[in-house]
Amino acid sequence: MDRRDFVKVCAGGTALALANWDSLVLAGGFEAFPAAKLTNKIGIPLKATEIPTGEALVFSYPVAGVPCFLINLGKKTTKPKPGLRGESDEYNWAGGVGPHGQFVAYVGICTHQLSYPTQEVSFLRYAVDGSSVADAPNRIVCCAHSSVFDPVEGGRPVGGPATFPLLPVRLAYDPVSDEISADGIIGMEFIKRFMKTYKRDLIAKYGPGGYLQPVEGKAIAMPLSQYSEVVPAC
Amino acid sequence: MNEQFDRRNFLKMSGAMLAAGTAGCATGITGSAVAGTSAAVMTGIKAPIPKAKGPRLVVVGAGTSGMTIAAHAKKNYPNFDVVVIDKRDMYSSCFNSNLWYVGIINMEFLADHSFLDAAVNNKYTFLNATVTGLDRASRTLVTSEGEVNYDFLVLAPGISYDYDKIGVKDVETMTALRQMYPGGFISPMEHVTLKRKIQEFEGGVFVQSVPGGNYRCLPGPYERACLMASWIKKNKLKGKVVILDANPEVTIKKQGFHAAFDELYKGIIEYKPGMAITGVDVEKKTIKTEFDSVQFDDASIYANVRGNTLIEQLGLMAPSTKSGQKEADVDVRFYNYIGDPHVYVTGDSRPHPYSKSANTSNTEGQFVAKVLAARAQGKEIAWESPETVCYSMTNAFPPEAIKVDAKYTYDPVKDAITGFSPDTKTWEVRDQAMGRAYLEWAQGIYRDMFG
Ligand SMILES: Cc1cc2nc3c(=O)[nH]c(=O)nc-3n(C[C@H](O)[C@H](O)[C@H](O)COP(=O)(O)OP(=O)(O)OC[C@H]3O[C@@H](n4cnc5c(N)ncnc54)[C@H](O)[C@@H]3O)c2cc1C
Ligand code: FES
Repeated sequence: MDRRDFVKVCAGGTALALANWDSLVLAGGFEAFPAAKLTNKIGIPLKATEIPTGEALVFSYPVAGVPCFLINLGKKTTKPKPGLRGESDEYNWAGGVGPHGQFVAYVGICTHQLSYPTQEVSFLRYAVDGSSVADAPNRIVCCAHSSVFDPVEGGRPVGGPATFPLLPVRLAYDPVSDEISADGIIGMEFIKRFMKTYKRDLIAKYGPGGYLQPVEGKAIAMPLSQYSEVVPAC
Repeated sequence: MNEQFDRRNFLKMSGAMLAAGTAGCATGITGSAVAGTSAAVMTGIKAPIPKAKGPRLVVVGAGTSGMTIAAHAKKNYPNFDVVVIDKRDMYSSCFNSNLWYVGIINMEFLADHSFLDAAVNNKYTFLNATVTGLDRASRTLVTSEGEVNYDFLVLAPGISYDYDKIGVKDVETMTALRQMYPGGFISPMEHVTLKRKIQEFEGGVFVQSVPGGNYRCLPGPYERACLMASWIKKNKLKGKVVILDANPEVTIKKQGFHAAFDELYKGIIEYKPGMAITGVDVEKKTIKTEFDSVQFDDASIYANVRGNTLIEQLGLMAPSTKSGQKEADVDVRFYNYIGDPHVYVTGDSRPHPYSKSANTSNTEGQFVAKVLAARAQGKEIAWESPETVCYSMTNAFPPEAIKVDAKYTYDPVKDAITGFSPDTKTWEVRDQAMGRAYLEWAQGIYRDMFG
């Protein structure tokens, strides 16, 4: 499947017309978007119990051009974290979902200088076993300038130059079906900056406006090692 | 590999600087009246820029330091009215330019960054002009396009070469060296000439010199030698690169560089430490050192560095007891010129023993933007160390790199920077992952400066 198909499958309706982009920005807190159920490559909903722990899965949300990481923290437990300092506001992180909060999701764009996974390469990754940059396991590391984030603690920066957390994606877990959906994120100002910075690249990959196509209903989540051809370790 | 950084390296690298010391610098922020220092005739003609709509912050030098400060100033204090002044009208990056010589990156990578876009994105005014004078009493900067008044002034003009220190005192020889054998550590035109030289090299001896003192980009000359050697090897040329190093040992990441010299470039790189240049005979293509002389076919002669001559012209140079490299006389932690809370000097014209590198200027610039924002509101903030994340490509085919990640320690008793912080790390086993990350490292800094 090529990139465009990927987007087409993910991006269903027209809830977010391009013209409405500016009005999406709300002050502080989570911004709700149409829910998207996380699925495998052929659109079948992922069963949470089958989500691997060894690497992040990548899905687009809330629009096609924004890559997000879904992480299964395995035995780790998460708790809500109030008072996280974002780029401009404080916010409360609700913690992960699932039986012991082990499923978390973050926007896969480094808050330091915006490195993000492309089809060719990802310098940002979840290093389950630790790495030479992260002094501990279960961290998200960015090889560009060695920022380290803690996904157990709301994605807050714990090393390197990043000064604020990875943007959290809100998840919902249905214990009956054992399925996970995304339904909100924090930090649309940051996302807009990302879009502006990479506009040329995003147009080249998704076509004019394609990167702004809403993702709703379903979002394909695939392992980072399949999403990007190269994932350098650091 | 992940090693504790050798602290002695720091002292070696910056020995002269530390010996001269910044100890005893008074903060001087409370100093009141400022003596006027006119270095150019004031004409009263104002530069064609809009009237200030808030406290005016003028940043001179659209390099790594100045661009970072300008990009972050308004984010920290939206009332600032920011003007950036540079004499060049086209950006081309010094950092990463070594990679261009052997085709790892193209020219777009270095130069596809617009001062105009940066000004719009970060809500400031860009003025293409050369700064020629300063009157601190009336807070007026003199430029080739007219005068500019400021509330806060940041000077980030980078470095100049100091040919005196390699025994070249006559203007003729200095000019010949500048034009024929450029060091390649300041301007894009040097890079263009060096690329031609490297790609036209058919054999013989190419000398890459390494100066003493705290020169710009400590690993830069060794990296360039490695990339050239990689080129020579790939193209099976009968030539070698002679590294004439004024220092007793490779100044940074020495295991990583020695590994490359020994494992990849045996017979291609000849490393000669302790060879400070004492003169050059351009006609005879001979470099003199204290005990020796070296014949070359082609060369990049990297003279010692000093604070940009603008700092001296504007009367802001530190006495030789504080800087052996004609850098600015600024407060160790907050960068204001001693006694003047309105004038700051940052980037490679600073007197600190920091590595003169892009990452240092970028992280320092983010901090200085916060200092300025605080001071514009009558506040003070705590000192933060800059961070030096610095990659070096030791192989071109395929691109493989090594890395250092360092911060610095401030001693409040001495009021001086005394060394690398204990959490400094080096990665000296070259690999392709770091080779790729090196490119993203630079792209991140461009995004920060221009985005
Ligand atoms: C070949 C090379 C390789 C390098 N490799 C690396 C690396 O791998 N890693 C790393 O971290 N760093 C590296 N560096 C170092 C890095 O580029 C510099 O240390 C850093 O850019 C310094 O920033 P600065 O703002 O102080 O100076 P500069 O970036 O040099 O900016 C100074 C600016 O001031 C302007 N200016 C000067 N005088 C005037 C005047 N009178 N009026 C108006 N404008 C003026 C100049 O035009 C220029 O734009 C390298 C540098 C070179 C040249
Ligand atoms: S962009 Fe990720 S650490 Fe800088």
